[in-house]
Amino acid sequence: MDIQLKRGLLDVCVLAAIKDKDSYGYQIIKDMKPYLELSESTLYTILKRLETAGMLTVRSVEHDGRLRKYYHITGSGIARIEEFKEDWKEILSIYRFVVKEEENE
Amino acid sequence: MNKQEFLEQLRRGLRGLPQEDIEERLSFYSEMIDDRVEEGLSEAEAVAEIGSVGEIVSQILAETPLTKIVKEKIKPKSPIRPWVVVLLLLGFPLWFPITVAVFAIILSAYIVIWSVIISLWAAFVSLIAGALGGAVSAVYFAMCGKGLSALTMLAITLLSAGFAILMFFVCLAASRGVIWLTKKFAIGIKHMLIGKETV
Repeated sequence: MDIQLKRGLLDVCVLAAIKDKDSYGYQIIKDMKPYLELSESTLYTILKRLETAGMLTVRSVEHDGRLRKYYHITGSGIARIEEFKEDWKEILSIYRFVVKEEENE
Repeated sequence: MNKQEFLEQLRRGLRGLPQEDIEERLSFYSEMIDDRVEEGLSEAEAVAEIGSVGEIVSQILAETPLTKIVKEKIKPKSPIRPWVVVLLLLGFPLWFPITVAVFAIILSAYIVIWSVIISLWAAFVSLIAGALGGAVSAVYFAMCGKGLSALTMLAITLLSAGFAILMFFVCLAASRGVIWLTKKFAIGIKHMLIGKETV
């Protein structure tokens, strides 16, 4: 898959993983596992990028005598997901057009 | 490998990055291992799932801009002492030309490699031009009624076009190869600056 496209997809996937409820690193990886394999290093990079872009915030929570980082989606993170959905409607209609062309050949 | 060893190796691998970056990475991986252990994995299994330290370090270096590494490298660990300044000034005639020479060598290596690529593409373009020229001449000779010359030109056209197609794939492969090499080279320089070999 195109690298730029994949990067955008991963960003939205991670945002979706924390959308309903704040989540932490390992939970995000587990939630995404059925859909795509995500390495720790890659997740770190994505989380960092989203934090810098202001789409999520981080807080440390004490858990079992150690600290765990929880990620919380912001308004602009939610807006990003909505934007993604809109984009995909458009892409899907283009896809249908492309597939139809092939079938007619 | 247990968690402690993993984190120690990772810390060694990342030496040369800004301290706060290293700490943040380490606490991230530490949390990842702890969460797996909490789920019932042994420490060794959890570490194995995270992946090899070498790969992680390479990925982090590939993502870290070279400027960040260089900045960290030249940042003085302690305030510069006067004698260091004196040494730097006295040594200027020595270290300055050496630095310039090193950069010049790297630059010329790049230029040499890219000239090869450019000349390959130039050969490709000239083959295309040869084919076009041949075609035009063939038509011209045919119209003049010089059948033999027209046939010769047609042969040249086909030959050039055939070689051009081959050349195109050679050029493409060579360009891709060089781009790949350039990336490897950049990661190599980063490894060198950090002063360690991949585990």
